Amino acid sequence: MFQRLFKSRCVASAVGCLVTLLGGATAAGQSVGLPAPRLLTTMPMGGQAGTTVEVTITGQSLDTAEALLFSHPEITAKQKRQDNGERVANQFVIQISEDCQPGVYDARVMTGMGLSTARAFSVSKHPEVTQSEACTTVQTAMPIAVGSIVNGTLVDRSINHYAIEASKGQRILIDCASKGIDSKMNPVVAVADASGSDLIVERRGGVIDFTIPASGRYLIKVHDLTFKGGPYYFYRLAVMPWDGQGTPPRMPSTHHVASFSWPPPGLAAGAAKPEAEPNDSLAESQPIELPCDIEGRFFPAADVDSFEFTAQKGETWWVEVASERLGHPTDPVAIVQQIRDDGTLVDVAELTDIPSPVKRSSNGYSYDGPPYNAGSSDINGKVEIPEDGKYRIRLSDLFGGTRTDPTNRYRLIVRQAAPDFSLVGWALHMGLRNGDRNALSKPMALRRGAVMPLEVVVVRRDGFDGEIELTMENLPEGVTATGLKIAAGATRGIVLVAADPNAPRGLTFASLSGRATIDGEQVVRDCRLASMKWPVPNAKAEIPDPRLVDQIPVSVNEVETAGLSIDVAEDKVWEVQQGQTLRLPLTLTRRSEFSGTSMSLKTFGAGFERNAAFDFSLADDQTQAVIDLAKLKPAPGDYTIAFYGGAVAKYRSGDAKPKDIVDIYVSQPIQIRVVPAKVNTP
Amino acid sequence: MLFAWLVCWFVPRGAACAEPAASAAPSSVSFVNDVVPVLTKAGCNAGVCHAKAGGGQNGFQLSLLGFEPQEDYQRLVREARGRRLFPLNPPRSLLLAKACGDVPHGGGVRLEKDSEGYRTLLRWIQAGAPYRPPHDPDLVSIEVQPPRGKLKPGEQVTLKTMATFSDGSRRDVTANSLFESNDAAMATVAEDGTVTALDIPGKVSVMVRYQGRVAVYNASVPMGAPLETVPPANNFVDELVFANLRDLGIPPSPPCDDATFLRRVSLDIGGRLPTEQEAREFLQNADPDKRSQAIDRLLRSADYADYFANKWTAVLKNRRDDASDIKANFAFHAWIRDSLLAGTPYDQMIRELLAATGTIIENPPVAWYKRVKEPKQQIEDVAQLFLGVRLQCAQCHHHPFERWSQTDYYSLAAFFSRIGRKPTDTSGEDLIFHERGVAQTINVKTGEPVKPAALGDAVGEIPPDEDPRLRLADWMASEENPFFAKALVNRYWKHFFSRGLVEPEDDIRDTNPPSNPELLDALEQHFVESGYDLRALIRVITESNAYQLSAIPNEHNLVDRQNFSRYYPKRLQAEVLLDAIDEVTGTTTSFANLPIGTRAVALPDNSYNRASPFLRVFGRPEATSVCECERVQSGSLAQSLHLMNASDLKSKLTAGNGRLHRMIADKLAPEVIVDQLYHAAFARPPSETELDKALAYLTESRSAADGTAMAETAALRENLQDLAWALINTKEFLFNH
Repeated sequence: MFQRLFKSRCVASAVGCLVTLLGGATAAGQSVGLPAPRLLTTMPMGGQAGTTVEVTITGQSLDTAEALLFSHPEITAKQKRQDNGERVANQFVIQISEDCQPGVYDARVMTGMGLSTARAFSVSKHPEVTQSEACTTVQTAMPIAVGSIVNGTLVDRSINHYAIEASKGQRILIDCASKGIDSKMNPVVAVADASGSDLIVERRGGVIDFTIPASGRYLIKVHDLTFKGGPYYFYRLAVMPWDGQGTPPRMPSTHHVASFSWPPPGLAAGAAKPEAEPNDSLAESQPIELPCDIEGRFFPAADVDSFEFTAQKGETWWVEVASERLGHPTDPVAIVQQIRDDGTLVDVAELTDIPSPVKRSSNGYSYDGPPYNAGSSDINGKVEIPEDGKYRIRLSDLFGGTRTDPTNRYRLIVRQAAPDFSLVGWALHMGLRNGDRNALSKPMALRRGAVMPLEVVVVRRDGFDGEIELTMENLPEGVTATGLKIAAGATRGIVLVAADPNAPRGLTFASLSGRATIDGEQVVRDCRLASMKWPVPNAKAEIPDPRLVDQIPVSVNEVETAGLSIDVAEDKVWEVQQGQTLRLPLTLTRRSEFSGTSMSLKTFGAGFERNAAFDFSLADDQTQAVIDLAKLKPAPGDYTIAFYGGAVAKYRSGDAKPKDIVDIYVSQPIQIRVVPAKVNTP
Repeated sequence: MLFAWLVCWFVPRGAACAEPAASAAPSSVSFVNDVVPVLTKAGCNAGVCHAKAGGGQNGFQLSLLGFEPQEDYQRLVREARGRRLFPLNPPRSLLLAKACGDVPHGGGVRLEKDSEGYRTLLRWIQAGAPYRPPHDPDLVSIEVQPPRGKLKPGEQVTLKTMATFSDGSRRDVTANSLFESNDAAMATVAEDGTVTALDIPGKVSVMVRYQGRVAVYNASVPMGAPLETVPPANNFVDELVFANLRDLGIPPSPPCDDATFLRRVSLDIGGRLPTEQEAREFLQNADPDKRSQAIDRLLRSADYADYFANKWTAVLKNRRDDASDIKANFAFHAWIRDSLLAGTPYDQMIRELLAATGTIIENPPVAWYKRVKEPKQQIEDVAQLFLGVRLQCAQCHHHPFERWSQTDYYSLAAFFSRIGRKPTDTSGEDLIFHERGVAQTINVKTGEPVKPAALGDAVGEIPPDEDPRLRLADWMASEENPFFAKALVNRYWKHFFSRGLVEPEDDIRDTNPPSNPELLDALEQHFVESGYDLRALIRVITESNAYQLSAIPNEHNLVDRQNFSRYYPKRLQAEVLLDAIDEVTGTTTSFANLPIGTRAVALPDNSYNRASPFLRVFGRPEATSVCECERVQSGSLAQSLHLMNASDLKSKLTAGNGRLHRMIADKLAPEVIVDQLYHAAFARPPSETELDKALAYLTESRSAADGTAMAETAALRENLQDLAWALINTKEFLFNH
């Protein structure tokens, strides 16, 4: 009984079980994920276009930081130097070109261990200041000018105060960027009178539109929802004059993962027509003709937008709605109904969320899937017209019953089938120790001899069901990428990025794409990359928070090599007949000490992932993988697979004491050709 | 039948079996209209007897107060093979033998043999124990006669209950009616309906119940004292309060002085003492409108939002059970606080709460659905908090004091039947949305589906796409709603006057009438007309002279606890008291996860009680109940000891950065010290006597522990600490008066 229970849990948490298997390694003192360069803060977090900004950085494994790189070519950085020419550690002088458009870009640091993780860096068109002194009391409030942006950091259990002088009737907008620039802060912004007594407060990430009631001094207070502080609780506070015309402009923001599937390829930047209120009821339905592309708002509270059209029996229409993917806290739902002659309505389709292509982690403490949600509360669904006649789309926001926010926009598209797909990928880990999500935030900074897996998932559009080949190009010297294709009908594939044991130090910005045949045409779609904003060692205390990153940098670590490499003994295509057993001789190159004597390996690769896990000796130089094709029943064809598992390395950095670190280890990709079984003729 | 007959053999000889059958000829007796009322009057179907939940008593169960006569009939006549009735010899029926004590009965003798009730039961059995005779009419209504009256202390009146039936007949059912006074200190009522007024003046009522129907006798007991003048009326509140006092002959106390007013209103609106500077400025201000200005200043301040958010978060159960609750709790508390600060109309706030969707961070009122998960709990909390209706009883049976049935209960629950939940990334927190579908719930008693209806009011057909909670919110905020605005104004009235116009404040029902119904109606109307403006309500209350009356009683109104003839002093709430001590001593209390200087009234949830003996001892609630009564406002020995000896109080008095330390460091003259302390603690200067005593004490010499004379400054410091300690321990400080 114990063994059965043990085994089943191992499936859910391969590394966790490995730790137990290895015996000596206890949870205490063991961490997840080998050290990787991570850029955690820049101060300030942005600057005005056309200016030079001095930036101080902090992070992990940045000891050898030598260059600060940005995802926009108009932002460049030089190492700060003292008058005598000596480098000032972790400080850079950044030049932001006048031509650089306002936005949020990725900053990364090049180190000896490769290129770091990304941190958001904002560019504005406004004067910026950096808070340098504590301003946690009314008396120490930092004076700022209306029309400027403050780069600030919170102090734990404190409220930052900024003072403005304003005239009666003056209208100002106050916006605070935090989550959208990678901060851990849940922002609370208040306008207070000169004594510090609050007048208006915003806690939901919205903007404050405030008209000065009487000329004088006002305070703007900023804090975290639970008054947390420290270097990771940073923000950019914009206090701008406002004429009240149009929609209040917001500070630019990074993009959350779900937005990768928007827009559909070829979609015009603007919608063809706006919604026409009032269209709240069947009687007021806005007439439309299909196909259509409409922009509207979920406004005011409990808004319902009704669109009426005619259609013929047998027609199939695809309805796509974007709102959450535009960055709004909405959950659109579309009910398509037939309008009968007597005015009664008959449901034809109820269209709700875009499901996540893979099972994502639950909110439990145990790791049970990647904590990336590639699905969305938006809509992408099919409507089949049952009869000739009149129909309507009833569009509403499931989260909008009581919220009145004119900025909650949507875009509704009804089209004939345009099969296509969108891809997003992220660094993969199998099971992680309970609570520890640290390794999810690693950059693609490869140790020589290492193989790094990326998980790529697809949101299929309008019935596209075909196979997708994954390819990665523009890699550094000595680095190869092998795409394990996404099978027809499947939603997930793997890309293995491998660094040769002798690969030189290098850095490129790669392209990752999926290739498929749709309606006889070859289609190539770029794959976006997502990553965690922060290394999270305890998922119960902090929810992993991912976003899309701007680029796909691949670098080679010149300082360290992989502790373990797993290769197949012979570089060839391994041919095997259907129904037979394939025995693959594997070789192990060990460059580090490991806890325990063996690791358990599982299999990547469409059609082979159900291959039973097998033990792999960490003591021997060779072992054998056995694949029973009689059980897996793959169809004849070419396959690429790899083996992966977790092992606990005794990691040593310099003269430091060795530390137990569990990480994922993946074999080099292995080519397999399955040939039809020979038919025995009597 | 054989079994029932055999039972007789086990009834002791000499008991009912030995007696001859009653001679009265069987007549047409209705179980519903005759027998059940007898059982009810005798207490057989009371909650503590055979209507006790879970099987009644000794295997014999009746429905509560006879609300389910069909079930009762089955149990009496059919259950246990009919052993409870003995038609062959009716007096030997177990029902009668137990009731009259012939057979040992845990409930004692409930019916004497010569009573009318006994004879009714006997006649019923003799008649063959019919359920209802042909043409048995249904009870339509009851009325009490007289319905109202004015009683002098000691005066009596005997009430009569008249029942009207569906055939138009009327019957005197006084003998089988239940009578209950709503305030036994003001009037008692005997079983036969005789009401006796006692010495306390005011309004009292007697609830009359008969077969699930209720009627109320309202009496006023005037004091009849001479009342030549009352303070001038500032608004309609005064007109109606003073009219009531005139009616009752209770002379009000005069308006309080400025210092008392400022301290009172600062504590009641802002949950804090006026600062020393505020007190001085107010006392020196000669503007006749300064009280209204002070009220406006307080209402505009964040202190008001903090204090009333503290009130609401407790009854909305913002409770921390796990460390991970912190974000949800902070967000929910902040939503209430910010809404109050922004002046969000009350109906809008409740709408946002009731129909909340999304996640807590994006829409904090969703947090209420984290704490209150079950639809039954949701409607019970909503009814009690926002409608002042206690519906809990109606889940299992017809409400004993009210008109609410199980159908009312489940039709209200149906509004919450389409709440969809999805887990979020935060453990224990769900995303809330309207799950498409027709709203309905199952009446567990009947097994029948019930559509949404709002306490008897139809709300129309709710299509599957519409969130029924929005329809409930519409109904609540409609001007015709008889509960919503009334419940709120009564709750707020109690906040300022210590007693609701209806008391308890969340138990509004026909049988618990307000002490001043005209005033309650007027406040309700004012609140609705103001657009559910909470600040406007507070303003009209606090601007009234009724609110501003002195707490010092005159020779007549000491006994008045109901009619607001003076301000009823109240002990400062735990949080307010802690803040007040901090204010006087110039110190702060540190609370986890909150900035230094955060006031106790601004604490977001109950978790701070664990680390603060002070808050626990002084009764800060744990946010487990919708009832404000969870806050303990009574005094205790522990409170006295805490104020006298607790180390936290001592540390505030001796704090190196505190007010007392600064007074010494700044070398203030003793007169200045005393004056500042009195202004800080009482919002007034010391009287001459107080000043003399304080100065004498401050300048006393002291001896050190070794007996040597203490240095002058050291002695002054310790004397000052003693003086501040003494002021904090005065009733004037501990109470809002």
